[in-house]
Amino acid sequence: MAATAKSLPQPRARVAEHEDPRVHLMHDPRPRGEMNDMVLESMHTATWRYWIATGTLTFLVLTCFVFAWYYLIANGLGVAGVNRPVYWGIFLVNTVFWIGISHAGTFISAILRVMKIEGRRPFTRAAELMTTFGLVQAGASIFMHMGRVWLAYWLFPFPNERGLWPDFHSPLMWDFLAINTYLLCSTMYLFLPLIPDLAMVRDRAKGWQKIPYRILALGFRGTEGEWKNLHTAMNIFAFAIIPVMFSVHTIVSWDFAMATRPGWSSTVFGPYFVIGALHSGMAAVAIVLFLIRSTMKNMKYFLRPEHFNLIGMLMLLVSMAWAYFYFNDYLVPWYGGDKWEKILQEFTEKGPIWWLWYVMLICNVAIPWLILWRKKWRSTPWLLAIVGVFINIGMWIERYVIIPEALTINRMPFTWRIYIPHVEIFLTIGTVSLFLLLYMLASRVIPLIPVWEVQEGQESHTLRRVGKAELSTLTNIE
Amino acid sequence: MANDLQLPVFTNTSEQEVSGKWGMVIDQDLCTGCQACVAACSMENNVPFVGEEDANYGRSMHWIRIERFWSGTFPEVKMTPYQPMLCQQCHNAPCEPVCPVFASVHSASEDTNLQVYNRCVGTRYCANNCPYQVRVFNWRDYTDARARPWLTSLQNQLSPDVTVRRRGVMEKCTFCIQRIHQAEQVAASENRSIADGDVTPACAQACPADAIVFGRIDDPNSRVSQAALNARGYHQLDELRTTPRITYLHGASNGSNG
Amino acid sequence: MSPEISRRDFLKLASVGAATTAALTGCGPASRYVTREPYVKMPEYNYNGLSTYYATTCRECSAGCGLVIRTFQGRALKVEGNRDHPVNMGKTCPRGQITLQGLYNPDRVTDPLHRKQRGSNDGEKMDWDAAVQVVTDALTHNQPNEVAFLLGMTPDHLFDMVSDMTKAMGAPAPIRYGAPAMFESRATLVQAAQTVFGQAALPSFDIGGADLVVSFGANFLEPWLSQVSQTRGYRNLRQGTPNHRGLFVQFESRMSQTASKADEWIPNKPGTEAVLALAMGRIIAEARGLPLPPAFATADVNQAASQADINADDLKRLATILGNAQRPLVIPGGQALAQSNGLQTAQAILSLNAFLGNLGKAGGVYLSPIAPLEDAYHRPASAKEMADFVGTLKKGAVKVLFVHGVNPLFELPKSLSFADALKNVPQVISFATFPDETALEADYVFPDHHGLESWGYQKVATGSNASVLSGAQPVVSPFHNTKATVDLLLAASQAAGGQIASALPFKDELEYIQSKLSTMLSNANGFFTAPEINSFTAYFQQHGGWWSTGDDRLAPTAADALNANIGASVSQFDGDGEFFLLPFVSPTLAEGGANKPWLQELGDPTTTVMWNTWIEMNPQKADEMGIQDNDIVTIVSPFGALEAPVYRYPAIRPDTIAIPFGQGHTAYGQFAAKRGVNPVDLLPQKYNEAGDLAYAGVKVHVQKTGRARKLSKMEGVLGVYGFDAKQ
Repeated sequence: MAATAKSLPQPRARVAEHEDPRVHLMHDPRPRGEMNDMVLESMHTATWRYWIATGTLTFLVLTCFVFAWYYLIANGLGVAGVNRPVYWGIFLVNTVFWIGISHAGTFISAILRVMKIEGRRPFTRAAELMTTFGLVQAGASIFMHMGRVWLAYWLFPFPNERGLWPDFHSPLMWDFLAINTYLLCSTMYLFLPLIPDLAMVRDRAKGWQKIPYRILALGFRGTEGEWKNLHTAMNIFAFAIIPVMFSVHTIVSWDFAMATRPGWSSTVFGPYFVIGALHSGMAAVAIVLFLIRSTMKNMKYFLRPEHFNLIGMLMLLVSMAWAYFYFNDYLVPWYGGDKWEKILQEFTEKGPIWWLWYVMLICNVAIPWLILWRKKWRSTPWLLAIVGVFINIGMWIERYVIIPEALTINRMPFTWRIYIPHVEIFLTIGTVSLFLLLYMLASRVIPLIPVWEVQEGQESHTLRRVGKAELSTLTNIE
Repeated sequence: MANDLQLPVFTNTSEQEVSGKWGMVIDQDLCTGCQACVAACSMENNVPFVGEEDANYGRSMHWIRIERFWSGTFPEVKMTPYQPMLCQQCHNAPCEPVCPVFASVHSASEDTNLQVYNRCVGTRYCANNCPYQVRVFNWRDYTDARARPWLTSLQNQLSPDVTVRRRGVMEKCTFCIQRIHQAEQVAASENRSIADGDVTPACAQACPADAIVFGRIDDPNSRVSQAALNARGYHQLDELRTTPRITYLHGASNGSNG
Repeated sequence: MSPEISRRDFLKLASVGAATTAALTGCGPASRYVTREPYVKMPEYNYNGLSTYYATTCRECSAGCGLVIRTFQGRALKVEGNRDHPVNMGKTCPRGQITLQGLYNPDRVTDPLHRKQRGSNDGEKMDWDAAVQVVTDALTHNQPNEVAFLLGMTPDHLFDMVSDMTKAMGAPAPIRYGAPAMFESRATLVQAAQTVFGQAALPSFDIGGADLVVSFGANFLEPWLSQVSQTRGYRNLRQGTPNHRGLFVQFESRMSQTASKADEWIPNKPGTEAVLALAMGRIIAEARGLPLPPAFATADVNQAASQADINADDLKRLATILGNAQRPLVIPGGQALAQSNGLQTAQAILSLNAFLGNLGKAGGVYLSPIAPLEDAYHRPASAKEMADFVGTLKKGAVKVLFVHGVNPLFELPKSLSFADALKNVPQVISFATFPDETALEADYVFPDHHGLESWGYQKVATGSNASVLSGAQPVVSPFHNTKATVDLLLAASQAAGGQIASALPFKDELEYIQSKLSTMLSNANGFFTAPEINSFTAYFQQHGGWWSTGDDRLAPTAADALNANIGASVSQFDGDGEFFLLPFVSPTLAEGGANKPWLQELGDPTTTVMWNTWIEMNPQKADEMGIQDNDIVTIVSPFGALEAPVYRYPAIRPDTIAIPFGQGHTAYGQFAAKRGVNPVDLLPQKYNEAGDLAYAGVKVHVQKTGRARKLSKMEGVLGVYGFDAKQ
């Protein structure tokens, strides 16, 4: 960012409210110091509601995550609902679901950054956090799923006394490496834009609190060279992480697509899973932003209906793309004419848990399409959050239909059995709680708004008067 | 250190080149569904029982199970011939490449699928990928006498030739590899090669109808090779090209459902 | 091992046969002379790391299959069939395989017990000297006719010994009984052979030699007479003759495991088998243009078909096939005999065989060979005789009752009220290995060894062409503080003195067995001969028994078989219910398997149900009654009622329900107790003319209870019965 801060002209009021450029964050800037204080205040203000929520979540994490997992490890997978033929249950549903959630973080942050969509600025941080925190849940879920989790490190390729590498033929191994790569990349990608904000907090922190921030800020002082390097690094990462992001969910989909199972062995699974991931991830961003906006102090300044509008549009777009792929998923078996695929379709639509299929379509397609087409509705944060909840339920069910439900049907009809989850339900609650708890804790220690990015955006924007109209112009200050 | 690591070599042999060594023929016309093979297998291979609830939930540990289906309604109802279903010991086994830790591997010497219990970390991918659904997972510590005190005396019967599997690992039919190895050792000590009939897995040994024939299928004169030439022979899910080592002979019991 | 023969001598003897049966060893770790020691002190014939194989006889049922038990460092590991044994020829049934779970069952009776209060779970442990004293007192303090022995079905050395003892005492002969005898209707088969052939022997059906088998309810692939040898016969029927697959037709109201292997299953109405058999005879006679034999004279084909509720054309077609078959065989059995007209049914079918001319020919009807040590076939008691015995008990005429190898409280129909009878017996002594219902009601339990820990022999009633005395020896040292019942009785006899002591001058069980075997020394028909008894015993144990080398089956004579008017009619049923009740022996559990967990976990062959009792009901009929899978229904017969979940079985007549026998224990260990129901609670006190229980001769009501209990099934019902089916 340029070292000198220009004072921006105050825009004049406009008649047409929906085109008022001041609604846009970029056009009603506040002094930097004031904005920094607003963010810091939101970090340091903890109401009793916060403590109750954190306490509840901590309790849920301790019972539904820590204890339930202990119970699972102590007693074996028998306490879960997995069986033959449904060897993979909700654990894998959760894994795919959380990887999906983690997708949107990078999507919003990296793709919108690369494409220079200005509306992204206030919510990139929240989205990036979602990537990291979501991946934590995904990783935990995949470990919960393992029969002998205490030997999970055998999946790492390291020289060992057994003289054995992992098998790189296994899609699970690809999956394992992809998730690890993604976790590593996304954590770094989260950290880079965090540095200036950490430096900002460091400069304002008092007493012992200074120490961790000093370490984390890596001595960032805001010199021209440092900004330059940061931008270069972020540009590289933003471009580099996009293929990683697309590949990781494609690889996750290969866990299924590579298998010789009806309903899984499909070449369309890669893009289908990516779109599915974006679908749930976008919706999750909407929920998280709504929660941040409505619970944290000063956030209504940073997160405005206009941002929700942007996310709402993306949600609608992704929902349509998802619907296309789902339809595609019907075309392929129809064209292939495989007997088992047909039975599987019949089972999902008419089997004992047929209603899941309908709930999935209603949540994933009907609700977004009915609500998101209207700008006023999608600009309403609470409405968008509710749509987001429905989409996430729908997408979770979609994974449930793909994994445990499809596993019921195999080529040996004698073994077909329904899956009835047990402890997995608690562990699902546990991962959701841990995800939210991590957010709650993060909101106390790091600014959830990348305040320097917002300021950068504001500084590079001006309103120019051209004839009677006021137009927003962008100055590239990098 | 690097020399110590033996990277596995995967050779892609097409099915024409392969003459797998051990194979089985199951005559569904003879199988009476009596469960003697299931019992014998469980007794030979330390297969644990799981109890009523888990058994009803698809968690029974049978390495071999006997399937049957129905068609029609009374009085024209027909039962399909009993179909003992066990690991088909595929040459192109779908279970093998998906294991991330080499627990499910192919034996070059027997041309069977092996499950290395102490490598298994329990991802259960192999079982998902098995089109025959013949892999069974230790959902609980079914063999732990601390948790199941009634096992204390029952465990006197455990065979020392077969690993007792603990919770969290996958297992499956081995073609009674301990018997194969023993026969190989006996033959080696007598300075001869294995003769037809030297190895009989527990299931074939018990079968009162003698519906299961076992032997070397690389020997064209063996009993099993001859039986596999039967015109009634077929492979389960042949369309998947897993090249199973078990040939089934169509049964015609109870009508024309063979 | 007898003290006269040293181990080293024994080894020399055993090695003689080693060329033919490489792995067999002739003698166990002589149970009575060896205490349990750490296995560092191994018997010299054991090698570390190598298994030792002992030949013995299966005690799970009375068929007398030869087993070879693999032992390793003093533990029995695996049951294998004895390849040389003429009954099973190396094969086993599931119960034989799982006999080890009986040996190592956690619920065995570990010590002799004195139960202060009958029915209570705890008893006072006592030592064996005191036990001998109790038995001695029981034998001496009562009048001989006040002592009664109730033994299992198997004609074994214990039965011989008790027979000798009771004879010496002047007490009534021991009674052998078991639920299998009732379900097999042995008395009916023997009586029919007596009537038709003039010889009271157990018929033997050469299934393997036939080219067409028509079975009227005979469950010969299930626990019925000799399952393993009959299954071998089935194999030979199908593939014994090159390029000729023998056919098999089953008449039965429910598709049993046996019927499921038939080429054609004809679901006839229960109790109509006799008229069907006679009608078939008539059709064949007419087709052959022969004068109608008196036996078939009264038969009316169309009436028979309508009575049986089957298609008359089917009957004619099958009769024609039967008449044209080269080696036809017709088998009676199962519920067909357990009807009020059961004896007529058996007679009609044996007559049909006689008419088809297959008596004493390959693929035909023989009479089972007479076992060594026997003069004729001695069948177990029929249900009628058992009822008479219960009547004796009720009158209080018996002061002490010894029970071994049978569990009458479980196996006898409740309507006989054996429990009440037992109350009138002042002293009940059980020799049960497992804490079964009867042992729980006994004053003393003096546990016998498990079959794999004991010596013995067993006279094979049927299932082999040769005359067989199957040998048993301990394969492991006794696991608990148990004592061979023969030893206990011999000790008590000696202590009692007098006639008993002089009639049974034996030091122990093995000496008694040798005294019996010594009569066979001169028999040159066996596959081995020995100059003196010790060698003979060693061979006997090494090979798992003695059998002749020839074919000892007897050809029945059919002099007057067709001249009698059998005059069969449809059977009479008790009760006014809407369903025929068809109890059948569970193909996996049979009467004594419920305490072995792996047997419980074997899926029933036809329904795949595990661990429980189910009621088979036709799905269309169930739909009419609004009954789903797993719905618990009450079955009410005039003699009792029970509740069990329904399995909608596609292959059963709509007017019939079937229920397996084998579960419903109230005791008998943790795996058996409080599991399922026992269909004998429903059975009538009605006998056919041979004295067998007409257990299928009752009609019952079925009522919904509104409750449900999930049946544990091997199958996934979704795949087998469609997506609508309830899991």
